[in-house]
Amino acid sequence: MGKVRLDESRHREMAAGLEVSLRRLAPFLTIACLLLLWQWISSRGIISHILVPPPADVYQAFIDSLADGTLLKHTVITLEEMLYGLLLGVGIGLAIGYAIAKAPILENILSPVIVAFQSTPIVAYAPLLVIWFGSGIASKIVTTAVIVFFPTLVNTIVGIRSVSPNLRDLMRSLKAGRWQIFRHLEAPSALPVILAGLKTSTTLAVIGAVVGEFVSQGSGLGYLVTSARNLYDTPLVVVAVLAMTAISLTLYGIVAYVEWRFLVWQRRASA
Amino acid sequence: MMNLVRLMIVAAIWLGLAVSAQDELVDERILLTFIPNVQFAPFYVGVEDGYFADAGFNVSLAHLQEPEVLDLVAVGQANFGIVSGEQVILARSRGRDVVYVFEWFQKYPVGLVYSSALDLSDLANLQDMAIGIPGRFGASYSGLTTLLGSAGLSEADIDLREIGFNAPEVFCLGVIDAAIVYVNNEPLQINNLAADGDCGSVREVDVITVASQVDLVSNGLIVSRAYLEENPDAVARMVGGLAGALRSVIDNPAGAYLASLAHVDSLPADEALLKALESAAEEQVDFLASDPDRGDIARSRRRLAAELAERFDRAALTQLNVLLNTIELWDAENIGYSDLSSWEAMRDTLDSMGFLEDDAGSLQDAFSNRFVTGADW
Repeated sequence: MGKVRLDESRHREMAAGLEVSLRRLAPFLTIACLLLLWQWISSRGIISHILVPPPADVYQAFIDSLADGTLLKHTVITLEEMLYGLLLGVGIGLAIGYAIAKAPILENILSPVIVAFQSTPIVAYAPLLVIWFGSGIASKIVTTAVIVFFPTLVNTIVGIRSVSPNLRDLMRSLKAGRWQIFRHLEAPSALPVILAGLKTSTTLAVIGAVVGEFVSQGSGLGYLVTSARNLYDTPLVVVAVLAMTAISLTLYGIVAYVEWRFLVWQRRASA
Repeated sequence: MMNLVRLMIVAAIWLGLAVSAQDELVDERILLTFIPNVQFAPFYVGVEDGYFADAGFNVSLAHLQEPEVLDLVAVGQANFGIVSGEQVILARSRGRDVVYVFEWFQKYPVGLVYSSALDLSDLANLQDMAIGIPGRFGASYSGLTTLLGSAGLSEADIDLREIGFNAPEVFCLGVIDAAIVYVNNEPLQINNLAADGDCGSVREVDVITVASQVDLVSNGLIVSRAYLEENPDAVARMVGGLAGALRSVIDNPAGAYLASLAHVDSLPADEALLKALESAAEEQVDFLASDPDRGDIARSRRRLAAELAERFDRAALTQLNVLLNTIELWDAENIGYSDLSSWEAMRDTLDSMGFLEDDAGSLQDAFSNRFVTGADW
């Protein structure tokens, strides 16, 4: 009887382990299936190579662009624009978001401008940003900052406003100063929501930088797409698009890791 | 009662004829570049005045980026497209077997716009100047490379700035000394800004056209080789329809502007201007009946511009003037005809820019004058 129970328990453990492994493998299996489907479509000629280049051609373009430094050069430029744009947009979003959360009158004053700016597609006014800030890196940084600003702002407001009034009262009753309330109560409480906003912002940052590069060309992955497209080098277009995806996923992963590290207390509390 | 029956029989016959005539037309999509604009007037006239219908086509128009136009034609998702000659050379070097069958723009439309205060009588004076360009691609970049090459300069000798399609604004802000533009359009806009005092210290601009230095192949009608071989008759009819429409625009720009109104939303068309253009278009029909030569017709266009300028302000006439400027790039003794030397010059330009890594193949396979040579339009 005892052996049967032991076998059942081991069986359950193995099944659970297998499920975890499968869940970890699932994304890679999806990618592998997509690659196989892509190769199959190309080899059967279902869609012309002109429209969808075979994976082998894309791989060759990746190797070539890596070897001659093209891919790295443009990736670094896009990353630079994104990071500066993120710093600027997130910084302003945090500051204004905190101010609005603390002084609701500011929301009434600023929201018409903020909502109007945010509800207009960035591609519509990106050409204006190029005219105002020049065709160099500044216009791309501003484009990125504008696009990442709103999620940060909204999440900061929500995060700060979600702080329990009871805890705030408790800290005040303990004679805590403004900085202490911010440092020990508001910041930790709002952090999960702010980091969720930051995850959205990092993925949007690629869009901002690339939109800027499409409007005012010269360098970066957006430029590489246009340039390769104009030279009918479709495999290189795919390489540039995949590079954008990789950047976006990497930054998202970094923020997710930061979130995981910083919010240990939250996980523990949940446990 | 009898009359009513007769009327119904006549109406039925008329309707039947109309429907069967409609049935004979083949639906065809022509892919254009840019956006709906008066510069595409030959296509609007072709649709509105029945040139394509007479050729057996019920034509619809779509606007895409040049590489997309070329790829869709190359894979057979569209039969006809308009792209520049350089795109044909580049695309053919990358395995797209398309053939250019009608040279629409007889003169390369790109040039350098600069303040008249600058001395650019010698292009070598461009050295160290800040020059704006939409980007390092396309007709603008080829044009700049050609201009610099003709002055013995290279890109390294100038301060090249990529400004997107914002030349009038960037130029008038004084950020650049000169800009590579489409000569039929932007210089007009800059001159308008300058005349209103909105262009810094610039009062007037001059233009150096690429066409004045080198004859480069420009925009034209393309088809895929497969379509050409299977449907030479259809290609011949489409070329004929386009040529007829183009000739009509060259001969009667007022009429072409009116036909474009159905396709271009932003064309200025207040009642007074419409009346003036309708009257001008009718007068031009009478004038054309007197069998004028090409020079006479060119003078009639200049007369039209001068007469309208006396009655209307610049803003109202900008798009008409864009059309008139563009006609100068289309008009030629043999419209549609393409010169091998202009293809060779373009290939050499692309080669010097390092854009032709792959074999461009035989240029004689890239274009064909067979539908143009000997044609009477």
